[in-house]
Amino acid sequence: MVELETAIKSLAENQVDFVIIGGVAFNLHSSAYVTYDFDFCYKRTRENLKKIVSALLLFKPKPRDFPKHLPYFFDETTLLNATNFTFQTEIGDIDLLGEVAGIGDYDSVENESVIMELFGFDVRVLSLEGLIKSKRSAGRTKDLLVLPELEALKELLEEEE
Amino acid sequence: MKRTIRERILNPKPNSKVAAAIEFGIDLTLLIRLIDLTPQERLQELQSTMRSFDMLREEAKKSRMKLYGRA
Repeated sequence: MVELETAIKSLAENQVDFVIIGGVAFNLHSSAYVTYDFDFCYKRTRENLKKIVSALLLFKPKPRDFPKHLPYFFDETTLLNATNFTFQTEIGDIDLLGEVAGIGDYDSVENESVIMELFGFDVRVLSLEGLIKSKRSAGRTKDLLVLPELEALKELLEEEE
Repeated sequence: MKRTIRERILNPKPNSKVAAAIEFGIDLTLLIRLIDLTPQERLQELQSTMRSFDMLREEAKKSRMKLYGRA
């Protein structure tokens, strides 16, 4: 389980450029989907990578498939060496994505995001339309299964009868 | 007359996305209450659901240990 408030506040307090995506974004748009991790898309500039390290280092992130007995260094260079990361942290599983299927890099994801107020911060969340686009593009069974609910939500929230 | 979200879920228009989701097997009645919450309240509700599932998993693990001697 991930401590959502702690994760979001830490990112926002450190002024990280990030957009909430995945299951938590579904929920923020009123979906009843249950998730256990926290996914966000992040801007891959050196400055932003430094902010991510400041925001998450305290929670001791390590890749989920990394051997337990080996030391892992979480710093700006680590983040420069790959685009997507699946971390286990002291506050739960947190996934960092530099790109989102069907949408593209951070700037494109930011263009498809909406701002929501969470814990006193204005936080970017991928729009329902963006979520639908990314899930349709990813095309895995688990992605396609959530589409009918997201499309129904979009219809309910956007169209007036 | 404008229909409420509740009415649109309980009595969806034929060929709508709402009708398609219900036909697919999704219980959209769960959304009626969630739509009225603020984003932060939805997040807090998700966190509470995660905690409940974690507790259930722990209890199930204890039961399996008792029953089978392993989790």
